[in-house]
Amino acid sequence: MSSRGLIAGVLIAALIGFGFAAAATYDFAAHLDRQVHNLHCSFIPGMSSANPAGAEGCQLTLMSPYSSLFRTSLWGGIPISLLALAVFTAIATAAGLILLLQAEDDTMALFSLLMLASMPVGASLVMGAIAAFKLHAACKQCIGIYVASALIGVFALLAYRLHAAVERVPLRVTRSPWLAAVPATAALILVLTSSYAMAMPSYESFSKGCGTLLSTEDRHNVLVHLPAAEAGAHKALEIFDPLCPACKAFEERLRAARLDKRLQRDLLLFPLDNSCNWMVENAMHPGSCEVSLAVLCAGERAAQVIEWAFAEQRTILQEAARDKHAAGRMVAQRFPDLQTCMKSATTKARLSQSLRWAVRNQVPVLTPQFYVNGKRLCDEDTDLGLEYTLSRMLEEDGS
Amino acid sequence: MKGQIAAVIISAVVIPTGLVVRWVNNAEFRLKAAQVAPTPEANVAIAEAADEVYCTPQLKQVLRRVLKSCGLLDSGEVRGCQPADAKQVATLAGADFNALFLPMAERAGVVEFEQNRFELDTTDQSLVDKLFTDQRGASYFFVVARASPEGSVEHNRDLSKQRAEAVMGYLRQKYQDPDLDHEVGLLWLGEEFAQLDQRFCGWQRSGDAASCQSETLNRSAFLSWIDCQL
Repeated sequence: MSSRGLIAGVLIAALIGFGFAAAATYDFAAHLDRQVHNLHCSFIPGMSSANPAGAEGCQLTLMSPYSSLFRTSLWGGIPISLLALAVFTAIATAAGLILLLQAEDDTMALFSLLMLASMPVGASLVMGAIAAFKLHAACKQCIGIYVASALIGVFALLAYRLHAAVERVPLRVTRSPWLAAVPATAALILVLTSSYAMAMPSYESFSKGCGTLLSTEDRHNVLVHLPAAEAGAHKALEIFDPLCPACKAFEERLRAARLDKRLQRDLLLFPLDNSCNWMVENAMHPGSCEVSLAVLCAGERAAQVIEWAFAEQRTILQEAARDKHAAGRMVAQRFPDLQTCMKSATTKARLSQSLRWAVRNQVPVLTPQFYVNGKRLCDEDTDLGLEYTLSRMLEEDGS
Repeated sequence: MKGQIAAVIISAVVIPTGLVVRWVNNAEFRLKAAQVAPTPEANVAIAEAADEVYCTPQLKQVLRRVLKSCGLLDSGEVRGCQPADAKQVATLAGADFNALFLPMAERAGVVEFEQNRFELDTTDQSLVDKLFTDQRGASYFFVVARASPEGSVEHNRDLSKQRAEAVMGYLRQKYQDPDLDHEVGLLWLGEEFAQLDQRFCGWQRSGDAASCQSETLNRSAFLSWIDCQL
């Protein structure tokens, strides 16, 4: 392939990368309205996923703390895809200018293009490793960006090597306007991120929370106290169901953002299972009454039972949906020493009192609910806006 | 050529910046619209006490009158109702009064005492524990004590009061529940009002399951959580 053909390859790959990065940034920006949106999770840039289940990887990646920067300063933070958008724009521009100016034989032009190409290649390696080893998620948009980055890297490297083979001279960096490409890319990143940040709406009012508890008094000893990881941690209360997938996801987000370290949490067990909870018509999370009893009985080992319930959540829910005693059997197998306590009428009464605590506070029938200083973190702020909103609520609590 | 270069560079800045600002502005517009419109939160159920289908308006009316007259609803103190009070506030015939409680068969129990006694033996205590700890979403626990017709009316009135208080004393000593005085309603009916008939033989009882005589059935305290919002 000729040098010009390789540069054209870089241009096309950069435009494809631009398409994926634009779709990802569009999806991220759409969530700034604090609502839920479908994602353009597809191998074709900008196409929506026909099957919502197919968008699971994109959803997980988007909501993860690795999808953006400065999340405690800005609601949701600056999306990484916005940086990708700037870099692909810069690469497409550089490749376009090389073709326009017929600078395929200019060593510094090709060197600068190679420098630019190393940016998305390096970023893709890092982000791909995070997706594979930390998130265990396959996001089609992200894969599109990785492939475009790889193509850019390959074409830019081949173009440079072809030129070097023809010229047969070692690289000597000389003064050239092409060297402005890297700082120009940095400037473009700055322009795009600052435009994004300045255009963002104000979220200050949401840190005041969505509702308050009427009384946090625990007269029946129903709250499960989780130990604080750090001294000076803020007291918080979570209304919680150990078999609720949203509670598990919330816990993962808290941990990923390291906000769990700043909290000394009390849990109020609120199983959404009609075998003990009269407020729900069906067993939304079958087996959660049994697991909640185990948490109440575990005392200082409550965190261990919760950890197990989260890890086995899917299996417990599936088994308990088939056989209502399955969850009890699974708990018995894993924590045999809790059996006597779980079967006692006193523990069942304590779980009822836990639910009655919710009645006294007239809280919504849903989980999870998170309260700091009696103020409820709005549901809309429990994913992308978690770090921003919760940090502010904790600061307010501290002050 | 310079013009073309400038056009490419300007496009590279303006197009992505314009797109990004537009996407963010659209989100801001939707955010403001959502703040004005009612949120889905308004449709989320709020945690509340149980209110079962058997809680007919008539039952609620009677329970409300009984609870108010017996000191529970307003003052939050357990005063208890004497037979005369119960008759007056229920404004029902004894059989009709009992019929209101029939739908609670699964939830209620009858603690049967020895003749002329008011102490709870271990079987009685087990039944009290079983019933009391199964509160679920109920707001009030009724203890309706009676006496069989042997002896004078006054003696039976006192005996049924002692039976109701024996249950209350046991609950107080065993559970040390700070809400007890706001939740437990005591009625003692002596032999005068709403004696239990054979329909209650099939209920959970602490006495001999094999036999069910009217006398033994009424030497008793009827216990039940009431799953009604009053």
